[in-house]
Amino acid sequence: MVNKYYILTIGICLTLIAASFSGCVEEEAEEMVLIFAMAGDADKLDPADVTDGESISRTDNIFESLVEYTEGGTDIQPALATSWEVSNDGLDITFNLRKNVKFHDGTDFNADAVVFSFERQYNTSNPYHDYGEWAYWSYMYYDIDYVEKINDYKIIIHLKNSNAAIMTSLAMFTVAIVSPTNAEKWGEDAFKHPVGTGPFKFVEWIKDDHITVEANENYWRARPTLDKIIFRVIEDPSARLLAIQAGEIHGMEYPDPSSFDLIKSDSDLQLLTQAGMNVGYLAMNTGYGYYDENENGVQDSDENWVETPGYFEPLTNKLVRKAINYAIDKNSIIDNLYKGTAIVAKNGMPPFMLGYNDDIVDYSYDPDMAKDLLEEAGYPNGFNTTLWVMPVSRPYMFDPPKIAEAIQSYLADVNINVELYQIDWSTYLEETENGNHPMCLLGWTGDNGDPDNFMRVLYGSDSASIGTAGNVAFYNNSLVQEKFTAALQSYDVTERAKLYEEAQVLIHEDAPFVYLAHATQNMVFLSNVKGYVLNPTERKFFYPVEIE
Amino acid sequence: MIRERETKTQELIRRFKYNKSAVFGLILILFLVFIAIFADFIAPNDPTPSPPELENSLKPGFWSNEGLEGYPLGTDMLGRCILSRIIFGARISLTVGFIAVGIASILGIIIGVTAGYFGKWIDSLLMRIVDIIFSFPALLLAIVIVATIGQGLDKAMIAIGIVYSPQMARIMRGSVLYIKEMEYIEAQKAIGSKNLRIIFRHVIPNSLAPVIVYGTLMMASAILDAAALGFLGLGAQPPTPEWGAMLSESRLYIVSGAWWAATFPGIAIILAVLGLNLLGDGLRDILDPRLKT
Repeated sequence: MVNKYYILTIGICLTLIAASFSGCVEEEAEEMVLIFAMAGDADKLDPADVTDGESISRTDNIFESLVEYTEGGTDIQPALATSWEVSNDGLDITFNLRKNVKFHDGTDFNADAVVFSFERQYNTSNPYHDYGEWAYWSYMYYDIDYVEKINDYKIIIHLKNSNAAIMTSLAMFTVAIVSPTNAEKWGEDAFKHPVGTGPFKFVEWIKDDHITVEANENYWRARPTLDKIIFRVIEDPSARLLAIQAGEIHGMEYPDPSSFDLIKSDSDLQLLTQAGMNVGYLAMNTGYGYYDENENGVQDSDENWVETPGYFEPLTNKLVRKAINYAIDKNSIIDNLYKGTAIVAKNGMPPFMLGYNDDIVDYSYDPDMAKDLLEEAGYPNGFNTTLWVMPVSRPYMFDPPKIAEAIQSYLADVNINVELYQIDWSTYLEETENGNHPMCLLGWTGDNGDPDNFMRVLYGSDSASIGTAGNVAFYNNSLVQEKFTAALQSYDVTERAKLYEEAQVLIHEDAPFVYLAHATQNMVFLSNVKGYVLNPTERKFFYPVEIE
Repeated sequence: MIRERETKTQELIRRFKYNKSAVFGLILILFLVFIAIFADFIAPNDPTPSPPELENSLKPGFWSNEGLEGYPLGTDMLGRCILSRIIFGARISLTVGFIAVGIASILGIIIGVTAGYFGKWIDSLLMRIVDIIFSFPALLLAIVIVATIGQGLDKAMIAIGIVYSPQMARIMRGSVLYIKEMEYIEAQKAIGSKNLRIIFRHVIPNSLAPVIVYGTLMMASAILDAAALGFLGLGAQPPTPEWGAMLSESRLYIVSGAWWAATFPGIAIILAVLGLNLLGDGLRDILDPRLKT
């Protein structure tokens, strides 16, 4: 027996020694690996077929578009296109493409790849069209008629209508260029095997655990300093914080505001903060939506207004919606729950954007006024309803259940009894887009810095389409929609601003939303991580990052 | 030594008093029942103030100078008094425990008596069904049931009741099998009493002792499971001050230093479960004839 243990002990010692040597060898190579904790896993890794920040944060490091935003801004600069020219009528945009760029799988980047990446989204007869939902195309790109190849390094994008936001939209993830050979190889599973031209190459995706990418040695700019990025999924904000305090990870998103003091006092950590381009709100279902039968993103004359599944009589009344606006003390929510990491919202887009109407006087906190309005509306004893609550932290609302509970007790004070309803995130999006809710919490993070991306997508009648609604209050005011359409087609900045300002007056008067907050975006890194720049679009680019 | 004759009840009380930990358990439970009944008078603050007092968010309690007057155990994220919420929570947890075990007992007695008294294929069939339910972990099954019939405290009670009924059924069947062979039952059969009369007048009353013992112990598990469901967001819905839900809402803030919001509801759960377990053990000691010394 004794001998056996001796052998075992010696064996263990030898293994340990060997292990420590191999450890040394690895250290000599000194790979620069950044581990970043995300709040959720990616949905898909096809940039054209996702709408959620969690997916986009990963694909943004693998793919590139024709043009891109300047670091930390929303101005346009060349990326895969070296130059472009807009025709006089604004309907044709000609792009010259960058030469000698290769996809990660060795395929050449050229006009065919660009045409493929666009065409699969809009051309219903394209064999790859069936592999995706292409939600963003109907939100932002339906003005694109078709994309034409002139030669291997020149293409033209033809528009149906003039569209003032199209250039900034072309820097979005939706129109990132994907490898056609890769799409052909994997078919409908291509979203699990992303191949782009970006600074990092996809390595592996372990569902709900991590996604790994490594440096692209043949990147057309200089090779990234980082050798590898591991995007780990840690859903719980306190678990993320514990992990970074222990040095297990190098960075994390969505820290909880109650832990900011702790982070600031820790010299091993740095907190990056910037005003966010977002809005968090409570939407009240005003009752009516339409079915977008032909999927063109517009309410056509043969598409009638019908009751949404969540139709709830009291909320169709403007007075009730105003009462709810008066009943909620936003200032207290911002001060005490957001802990000052947000500013109070009075309009549906952040204040620094074109056409923000600062003359609007917000609904004050006035429960007595709310009760009077309810009485006037015919509900002197209040009513019962349901509020749909997001289950996950979002950039515009770090802890929706807490905020919902606060709103619940504010409304109880004016005799509106609210039940909270929670369901998992992807079902939540589906059900709210379908209008199943009487009231719901939601919000929006701007994609391209253009007001159209907030206004028309969130508050236009055309977006009140049951099943794909961006306008989850199903707010329908044809005057507002007309102003949005005119603003999108005009290139005159002052005229656009004026139209948006007028629209906000009408929205404020109809009160389909309780606008709550414009939250700051916050990220935590270890102090030795350098070069990360926050973007107003909240997209995450790790190309310039290094670890000292 | 010759002892004076004492009634059965007096004997039980004497033996119970002798069991220190059981007495402690009983006191603990009586205390919780007391605060649950008189919560409205005892609680220093409204457990769910409307409108909310958000400016009181996450203030510490009596141990700190930064604490608020009148909030001895501090406040939670929404500025609500933790002590008051725990006091009202006692009402909820005890009700949940009692009703869930009530449901389990009724179902269990029906199944157990039917199986034990009638035997044969009825017994085999019912006990195999019970075996199948038994093969699921209790909490998992409760989650499945809640997911099917919907969230909420009432649904959670039903789910826990269903999950615990097989256990009750087995206990009941065991004691019915024993009682069924007794001479007085045979005597009843001999004078031609109907089955139902025998079951309700003789079998059930005589086999209740283990149900009471295990019911008490089960109540502890039921409270724990209700807290777990509340923690997972499937049980009590906000703003109900349920202990498990309070724990789950507040755990986020432990890291940032507000330990009190999650700690005290946790202690409340421990005390209730401990009290019921001690009491249950004590009852078993005195009621189980096999343990009689």
